[in-house]
Amino acid sequence: MALLEVNNLKTVFKTDAGTVQAVRNVSFKLEQGEALGIVGESGSGKSQMMYSIIGLLAENGKVEEGQFFFDGQDISPSNFTHKKDYDNFMRQFRGNSMAMIFQDPMTFLNPVLKIETQLVEPMLNHTDMTREQAKEKALELLKKVGIPSPEKRINQYPFEFSGGMRQRIVIAIALANNPKLIIADEPTTALDVTIQAQVLEIIDDLKKESNSAVIMITHDLGVVAKLCDRIAIMYGGKIVEIGTDKDIFYNPKHPYTEGLLRCIANPEDDNEKTLTPIAGSPPDLLNPPKGCPFVDRCEKAMRICKDFAPEVTEVSEGHQCSCWLLDKRAVRE
Amino acid sequence: MSEQKVILSVKNLKTYFDVTKGIFSKKQIVKAVDDVSFDVYENETFGLVGESGCGKTTLGRTIVKLYEPESGSIEFEGRDIAKIRGRELISFRKDMQMIFQDPYASLNPRMTVGEIIKEPMIIHNIYKTDAEREERVVELLKIVGLKPDHIRRYPAEFSGGQRQRVGIARALAVNPKFIVCDEPISALDVSIQAQVVNLLKEIQEKMGLSYLFIAHDLSMVKHISDRIGVMYLGHMVECGPANDVYHRPLHPYTTALLSAIPIPDPDVAKAKQRIVLEGEVPSPINPPRGCPFCTRCTKATERCNRERPEPIQVGTRLVACHLYEK
Repeated sequence: MALLEVNNLKTVFKTDAGTVQAVRNVSFKLEQGEALGIVGESGSGKSQMMYSIIGLLAENGKVEEGQFFFDGQDISPSNFTHKKDYDNFMRQFRGNSMAMIFQDPMTFLNPVLKIETQLVEPMLNHTDMTREQAKEKALELLKKVGIPSPEKRINQYPFEFSGGMRQRIVIAIALANNPKLIIADEPTTALDVTIQAQVLEIIDDLKKESNSAVIMITHDLGVVAKLCDRIAIMYGGKIVEIGTDKDIFYNPKHPYTEGLLRCIANPEDDNEKTLTPIAGSPPDLLNPPKGCPFVDRCEKAMRICKDFAPEVTEVSEGHQCSCWLLDKRAVRE
Repeated sequence: MSEQKVILSVKNLKTYFDVTKGIFSKKQIVKAVDDVSFDVYENETFGLVGESGCGKTTLGRTIVKLYEPESGSIEFEGRDIAKIRGRELISFRKDMQMIFQDPYASLNPRMTVGEIIKEPMIIHNIYKTDAEREERVVELLKIVGLKPDHIRRYPAEFSGGQRQRVGIARALAVNPKFIVCDEPISALDVSIQAQVVNLLKEIQEKMGLSYLFIAHDLSMVKHISDRIGVMYLGHMVECGPANDVYHRPLHPYTTALLSAIPIPDPDVAKAKQRIVLEGEVPSPINPPRGCPFCTRCTKATERCNRERPEPIQVGTRLVACHLYEK
């Protein structure tokens, strides 16, 4: 059984300008111990998709459709009659079985509380540990994420730590309850490359040690290449391609995935003269295109792409792509 | 390389900031740029890399004279501009322009795109009539890949990539010879980054520009630059041709920095062993007395703690490290 199963998720946001269809019919599965990378540009819906599943959407956002199962348990909002029940349930649920790491550690850490309080509190709330036991565990966690002299550092405030150190503290807090799933939303975007490498290594080690699943949301293909077993490429609110790291990097099928790989610089390649950018810009999700979201920027677009959304085609086992080019029914011209 | 003409020559440049708090406390100085020397050749892209706080942006801003240097010289086309002021400074800025990191903060939201691009032409008195200026703006918009009818629009109507194009058009408005690009692509999406990088390259070829390209994305810097300078804690620790620096880094810091780049290739990335850098960058208020990198370097000796290494020529490169001294 998959650890997390998402079926046909649709999320909308009500704004003054109209209804933004941020996530449009997304389905995927995540196995125990697996690291899934979700790659997309800003506005592709990658973060909102995740927030929809874990019940952290902003006030104006709403899950219109979709069912999510975590470890066989139905955690979709439609399973609850009152929003309050759902919120209460999810608060407990998130604390017990999943952990989150955000882009900016300072939006996560409380600036006026000591690190100790912030580490111990979730353990006291979600387990029956005593304060002493929780503190002991907290010190152990700080050591695990590589914070030197934790006995001294635990009494300090977040501002006394550097960006990389803060992100380590967030990871330590995330690990406090032995989560089955770690969700990392651009965890290293705000960090320097050497610090980024350290943080990614910590996440990788912890994943291997505890067999937790990881969902890594990022726009950096280098990061997913390093850390992830499977990769989902999102565009215009949809997953356009999903497969193993090797499927995506060495055998991409969707024109957007191909384009994305062509427009990043690979420092290993000296003969690379020009990058091939993808012309144009992403679609406006206030009025998403009727057919394939990528149609306006796609070099291989056919007439059918404009009017009908492509269905999922199984390229090989576990490698799926939504593109009319792979669908035998599409009329070529 | 030797036959190429030097357009910018920076020698022993120092930029310090006074960060003393209160009038009675001890004087505290941040040595943001400390004794940096390098040359940029005509029609070349010189990439400047380093982690946040290493002084790369300060160096760029000092070169366009947004900050006053403490000491040292900045020779631009043979003329020292480190101390120029007033009218002379204005006429120098006509030759050197800047593209900023944040395309949202660097364009005035209350000016139309046309007004933004026209402003430098008015300041430098380039065209006589407004009609001529308008004509030039339309031309520039076409060069940077925007439409002529965008001229009456406001920045808010554009995406990040398009705004960065407006920023580039503004920099080009006075026909400069040299552009300092301060992280011009960091705020953009991957597919848009390549568009802007290609545009910068295209303009360089067409107009014979030289760039100082500042960025922390090492992959992109290597892609766009002919030569690279690596900065650490206000010092330039290594400088040389891009491919050489990337494939055969000499300075221990460069080696560590390069090993941390995420490679967009799963087999390579997963097999790659990173050189673990212990600790963090020391505070620039209280930098180590000897080599700036000695606190984190695995090869550091007692001498490194004591004595600051001078840049020495090793093949095509300059390296500031005691390991390479004979």
